[in-house]
Amino acid sequence: MSAVATTPRPAPSTPAARNVRVTFPRVVRSEWLKFRTLRSTVWTVAITVVLMVGISLMFAAIVQVAASTPEMQEGMAQDPDMQAAGGLRGIFVITVGYGFAQLAIAVLGALSITNEYSSGMIRSTFAAEPRRLPVLWAKLLVVVTVTVVLTVVALALAWLVTYPMLDANGLTADLSDPEQVRALVGTVLYLATIAALSLGVGVLLRHTAGAIATLVAVLFVVPLIFTIATQAGNVEWVRTVNKFLPTVAGEQVISTGPASGDLLEPWQGFAVLAAYAVAALVAAAVALKRRDT
Amino acid sequence: MIEAHGLSKHYGAKTAVDEVSFTVRPGVVTGFLGPNGAGKSTTMRLVMGLDRPSGGWVTVNGKPYAQHRSPLTEVGALLEAKAVHPGRSAYQHLRVLAATHGISTGRVDEVIELTGLESVARKRVGGFSLGMGQRLGIAAALLGDPKTLLLDEPVNGLDPEGVLWVRNLVRYLAGQGRTIFLSSHLMSEVAVTADHVIVIGKGKILADMPVKDLVDGASRRIVRVRTPQAAALDVALRAAGLTVQQGDDGALEVVDAEAAQVGEIAAAGGVVLHELTPVASTLEDAYMALTADAYMALTADSVEYRTEALSGGAGGGAGDGTPGPATTADTTADTTVTEGADR
Repeated sequence: MSAVATTPRPAPSTPAARNVRVTFPRVVRSEWLKFRTLRSTVWTVAITVVLMVGISLMFAAIVQVAASTPEMQEGMAQDPDMQAAGGLRGIFVITVGYGFAQLAIAVLGALSITNEYSSGMIRSTFAAEPRRLPVLWAKLLVVVTVTVVLTVVALALAWLVTYPMLDANGLTADLSDPEQVRALVGTVLYLATIAALSLGVGVLLRHTAGAIATLVAVLFVVPLIFTIATQAGNVEWVRTVNKFLPTVAGEQVISTGPASGDLLEPWQGFAVLAAYAVAALVAAAVALKRRDT
Repeated sequence: MIEAHGLSKHYGAKTAVDEVSFTVRPGVVTGFLGPNGAGKSTTMRLVMGLDRPSGGWVTVNGKPYAQHRSPLTEVGALLEAKAVHPGRSAYQHLRVLAATHGISTGRVDEVIELTGLESVARKRVGGFSLGMGQRLGIAAALLGDPKTLLLDEPVNGLDPEGVLWVRNLVRYLAGQGRTIFLSSHLMSEVAVTADHVIVIGKGKILADMPVKDLVDGASRRIVRVRTPQAAALDVALRAAGLTVQQGDDGALEVVDAEAAQVGEIAAAGGVVLHELTPVASTLEDAYMALTADAYMALTADSVEYRTEALSGGAGGGAGDGTPGPATTADTTADTTVTEGADR
């Protein structure tokens, strides 16, 4: 027997193999590959864009119809504020799709982690990056970046397709108006923050159905109940809770026109939403680090 | 090299792994043997840092797994359940894992070829057979060309061809000097694949020894004789200091004796023999019978849920000395629930 056969030795390593190790950019790359190799995520992104643009187009058409009635034309000519009161600002038409898009984005954020738990992929993921937290930050980077890009594209398309109709009524978005610029940037930030919040909820709950049900409740059902409640009666605590709800607070950064005294200032509101997202992600990071897979 | 020291894992009130200590050495195949639910998979998840130990520690090549900066080149693991998103192709799955370490796509192609997945590599994993899924799991484990391989029930659910393929691959990889830690609930599987065996039952280590010792330790050679003068032969054999027991349909079984010796005693006593068979003499049969027996004897008290076949085999092995049927281990495997089904 030769020495080679009797002495255990490590597997041969090629020169290329020496640089093989985990780095954060590589984990991000892996997460990006995961993201774009699933049909479900690719479809969700496409649907979100279509949804946002479609809704803008629908609102533009409504504006068109409304503006062509003689009473409206007369009213708008006399009082420019009436446009705002009726929600008939160009910027509103362009950004209005966020309300529906946020559900698709919430699904996207939550699914990026819950689908790993449901399929068992999480074990492969954590075997490759056993420190775990870089996986969470890489996922965050990917879903937030995707959301930002898709929102910018959707807003640009919405502006483009609604331009002829809005222009005909003198309602095009005015980018020299800081409030309108804030609404556009706010839409991007709002949806990016919803994506981050949803990822955090997804990590915490692990189950797709549970995470989505929770997000629908937080983003749609609870605000709806409170909207009805605030209109039904003038109860102090109801109004206070209402203005601090994640979506109600966050939406202020998108809204334009006269401010309501019952709601937060635009950037204050956004800060509240961002705080929810940070809290969810911190909880998610702690849970991820501690839990069994 | 895998070292575990006082490793424990509790799930609520249930203890899955109970202060286990062992060392898996490089260059040999170490079998990790135990009935379903004994704690094999939990131990493997603890090694991989997927579950947190309730007590004790485990290191891989000197460090806890999570502290390695290139974990996939240290340990490749095939864990029990499918750890793959069904919507990705095998190729995409492997690329996703390779990307975390900067492993080239060339290596991805290599492991696909090595595991014979070329024809299905671009198909979605959701449609894979169990065998293809196992091959993909092994491909993923080999991706980083790791020094240590952790294979949890690698032959589970495979057809005979697949079983043979896994056995040969494991032998080949061990031949390259890698550390291999392979779990199985089948003694027969461990006996043919492993050099060393760690037996676990109810979360505790029951044996840690070379496979050969385990088998030898439990060895009893049996000679079966048939004769119309059973009573006379019985007396003669006992007079010669041999142990005799009643076999099936009137045959006598002589324990730890050579056929020649029994023949000579019979001739000296003038006893006519109709049959003289060394029952445990063909290696394969002996191996199967004895390994099954040894396994049952070791784990009889530590099996959580008994089945008819299991109680029968354990009773036969430990009680009157009748060798358990060679198929006991396999019967047990078929009638018990798959480990990890509760997860």
